[in-house]
Amino acid sequence: MTFRQRHLALPVAVAIVAGCLAPLAVLVAFSFYEVEDFDLIPAFSFRAWGELATSGTDWFLIGKAVLSGLTTTVFTTILGYPVALALTRLAASAKGLAIIVLLTPLYTGEIVRIYAWRIVLGGEGLVNTVLQGIGLIDEPLKFLLFSPFTIGLVLTYNNLPFMVLAIWVSAEMVDRRLIEAARDLGARPIDAFSRVVFPLTTPGLAAGSLTVFALSAGELLTPSLLGGTSGATAMALVDNLFGTAFDWPLASALALALLATLFLVASAMAGLLLRLKGARAVIGRT
Amino acid sequence: MQRFILNRRQMLGGLAAGAGLSLLGPMGRASAAVSEIVWATWDSNGHPEYVTAFEKATGTKVKLSFLSSEDAQFAALKTGAASDWDVVNPSLNQARRYIKAGELMPLDLAKVPNLAHMYDVFKATEKVKGEDGQTYAIPYLWGLNPIVYRSDIHTEEPTYSTLFDPKFKGQLAMRDYALESIAIAALHIGIPRERAFLLTSDELAEVKKALIAQKPLLRTYWQTIGDLTNLIATGEVTAAFSWRVPYDALKDKMKVAMAKPKAGIMGWCDCFAIPASLPEEKVETAYKFADYLLGADYASTIAEIGNYATTSSIIRDKLTPEKQEAIFVDDLSVMQNFMWPEAPENYSEWLKVWNEVKAA
Repeated sequence: MTFRQRHLALPVAVAIVAGCLAPLAVLVAFSFYEVEDFDLIPAFSFRAWGELATSGTDWFLIGKAVLSGLTTTVFTTILGYPVALALTRLAASAKGLAIIVLLTPLYTGEIVRIYAWRIVLGGEGLVNTVLQGIGLIDEPLKFLLFSPFTIGLVLTYNNLPFMVLAIWVSAEMVDRRLIEAARDLGARPIDAFSRVVFPLTTPGLAAGSLTVFALSAGELLTPSLLGGTSGATAMALVDNLFGTAFDWPLASALALALLATLFLVASAMAGLLLRLKGARAVIGRT
Repeated sequence: MQRFILNRRQMLGGLAAGAGLSLLGPMGRASAAVSEIVWATWDSNGHPEYVTAFEKATGTKVKLSFLSSEDAQFAALKTGAASDWDVVNPSLNQARRYIKAGELMPLDLAKVPNLAHMYDVFKATEKVKGEDGQTYAIPYLWGLNPIVYRSDIHTEEPTYSTLFDPKFKGQLAMRDYALESIAIAALHIGIPRERAFLLTSDELAEVKKALIAQKPLLRTYWQTIGDLTNLIATGEVTAAFSWRVPYDALKDKMKVAMAKPKAGIMGWCDCFAIPASLPEEKVETAYKFADYLLGADYASTIAEIGNYATTSSIIRDKLTPEKQEAIFVDDLSVMQNFMWPEAPENYSEWLKVWNEVKAA
């Protein structure tokens, strides 16, 4: 990279620092403030941090966010690979169309999708009506809607395009001759995948995983509108503390703790994925 | 508090300046004309047709700025993000929070003649008064929050205990809102309604147990009233603590009814208030608008279109018995059973309990 090229990144870097770190600094300051009669009073109080440290609920919800992010990442990875690899096999003209189709659900907006899921998964919804119609079940399957299952299903569905796109871009760059060579040398398709394709697409997998993890761990609407009584999230709690409770110090402390935890987990994920042999080969190439 | 003194001083200064200007004749009057006021309110309280009579009578346009939540309104006032709002809409149960924070202007009730027609229960409320004894908000619109239920499935009229009945497992819903949900659980475990918002820590612990036991019976916690309407319409929920909206939306499509539990009827009431920072030249118009909200035109249109009653008795006797019933003013004794949800002193403890219940 030349000196001048590097400078092109400067405005973006400045914007990221100003737009991200500055509000974070404000959160840090708020977390030490005190609240009196709905007024934030500058102080150096550890009340919020003390309350956070001893709150089982807060840490349970932070753990739930991590778990939700990780499971969504795993499911989108398993489902995303076959789709991404199939995309690479399409004719160039069909690829554009396939990508548009892949992204179609994202054009509809989250609230529309949420209510559509209710129509599909509800007690009198599409899936239950069909299953009852063909005589597979007598009573509607209630767990389809308003359960942890629903949250997992919908988060996986919503985030799948991000994973597929990231893996696909990586997979397009894999030299076909390497796969052919592996096959010529007697590798079964599964071995060619696990020893050639998978290692060489780990940068895409890493990009997809980090995106999906961030999006799903911080999701608020889907759990609260489709998760039923199991829909409580750390994000909703932060919202509640900032709004209804007007406890900005505790809300700030919880938001920072959530952010730090997600950052640590994401860093560990990135470290693990990029340490893989294939990733090193791809990234070292540039 | 300091802010309040400052505002009063500004107001007195403004009044003096206004008096001085009026001596200048036409020039002074021209500068006092207000072409527009911005009313921050709920979309259900402020349809454009509800304010046309005011616009015609005064020549002042009413620009509607719809609220997303009470908390967002409070936060906007608190952080100064609401500088274009001229009239705001605190609820009766949260009014004190705005007053304490110094966000509202003390009101001169003599400038609102229609107050004379207000029902006593609203006239008497202390919740709109500050510690200085002054009034800071005027209740103008009210209603009841009933249990809305499917009358084909619930053959007996539900009570709050129906919402805790295992017989209806998977068909019930509660609002995702600490204040009302905790109070309902308190009534269910036998705490009298006078004390439902004054729970001790021990009572809160008992309520928490009841709410955790209720969780497996619930289909979900509803977030918005549109959300609940959808849940009832699609058959997911057959009884829920509600607002009247789902009943009105669905009564012609399915068998739904409203129950007003005898244990205590949860009432809601919205207030008129003026932000403390309102420029002096707009204050007179804001008072005229307060008087309009308590007058006959607003009461008639909102009763007709929205099925809501104002706090004024001004048109009650002219309504048909059906309409009186629809807006809950047929039997005025209902006002004796009101429970006004109010933020308790230990509200943060309530919120903690509610968050623990939801995460349990």
